[in-house]
Amino acid sequence: MSTCVCGSGLAFALCCEPILNGKPAPTAEALMRSRYAAYALGKLDHVERTATPEALEGFNRQDSERVVDESKWLGLEILRTVDGGEGDQTGQVEFVFRYSLRGQTYAQHELSTFCRKDGAWLYSSSEINPKSPPVRVTKEGRNDPCACGSGKKHKKCCGA
Amino acid sequence: MAEQRFNCTLCGQCCRGWIPLTLDDALANAGRFPLAMVWTPVRPGSRAFDLTTRLGTTVQLRNHKQVAVLIAPTAYIPPSFPCPALTADNLCGIQGDKPQRCRTMPFYPYREENDQADILVPRKGWACDTSAAAPVIYRDKTIIDREAFDREREALTAQAPSLRAYAETMLKQNAALTDYLTKAAQNPVAGHFAVNFSSYLRLNRSYDLIAFAKAQHPVLTAFANRTEKTPELADYHTYYKESAAELSWFAQRS
Ligand code: SF4
Ligand SMILES: [Zn+2]
Repeated sequence: MSTCVCGSGLAFALCCEPILNGKPAPTAEALMRSRYAAYALGKLDHVERTATPEALEGFNRQDSERVVDESKWLGLEILRTVDGGEGDQTGQVEFVFRYSLRGQTYAQHELSTFCRKDGAWLYSSSEINPKSPPVRVTKEGRNDPCACGSGKKHKKCCGA
Repeated sequence: MAEQRFNCTLCGQCCRGWIPLTLDDALANAGRFPLAMVWTPVRPGSRAFDLTTRLGTTVQLRNHKQVAVLIAPTAYIPPSFPCPALTADNLCGIQGDKPQRCRTMPFYPYREENDQADILVPRKGWACDTSAAAPVIYRDKTIIDREAFDREREALTAQAPSLRAYAETMLKQNAALTDYLTKAAQNPVAGHFAVNFSSYLRLNRSYDLIAFAKAQHPVLTAFANRTEKTPELADYHTYYKESAAELSWFAQRS
């Protein structure tokens, strides 16, 4: 019997598998673990099914398919939970997971917020610390267009 | 009575470098322009501050000061490069459906209507006719023919909530962005930075990243090649290369 990819040490069949198959997660942490497992196993329907409508607005399925396809999942560690228990309506889970992408290993540190809707836990939002692959930021030098709060295709520029 | 005159002489000089675009123009031209999201902090003292809070967003910096931030989908073309749509005889090759930004020239709706005077003065090397022979286009801080200005402003206003939501998520997920904003706000000369355009699409359920990547990836790759051997354009080169890498998975899908 295989242990669950979420790192709980439990058998998959006793941990994330039933939740991935549609059984409601009893706690926010259990939902969080199952969502990690869903990424690791490419079960993105579960990720979509367990998000609030607002969170879903910001979820691009193609991008997630890319993430699943390109990443190797190296493990999850839960750092802290706030509420999110059987008697709670909201909860937070702080965790770190590691993965590798195009030959580089990354650790992502995340604080996720969950809420209950019609009894079931849903993922609502996250704060992520910048250990994830960085957004490509290119700074501009002094000779570039403008600093007047605008800049570009316009006629005269404060710096020019 | 304060009046300013202007006539376009088709010199093509303003068809170089960056073009801030509406979201729709950016997406429609993904197969033509290398795109970026350009973030520009605007300080509270600036005349564009109030307008920028409406068209963009407001951010609390590391030093607890507030700035307005303009987030502009941009044709991220090096200032020394002509627009890819500019033809050899200096005319616009897509005159019929050129971006709204180009239609509103020389006005700039990212600033208030009454704050246009200094941007109507041609930059060095531009051949705009501002002589008595040219028609009056701006009088007593009012635009005479305002149709294009209003249309661009409307588009900017309509897209603002979507860009604001994008900025909010990005700032939550990338603490480094607040550092960049703080730094950019302190820099009096060139306070802005570019973020991958695909970062916007990735945070929206409704965008087809595969279709976008198929159009945009070849453009980014071409610009990466064109900037490879020029040391002054190293930042641009890195931007194009890394943005292309972000899109390559999508570009290879069928
Ligand atoms: S699209 Fe046309 S008008 Fe606009 S910058 Fe390019 S060449 Fe000039
Ligand atoms: Zn599990």
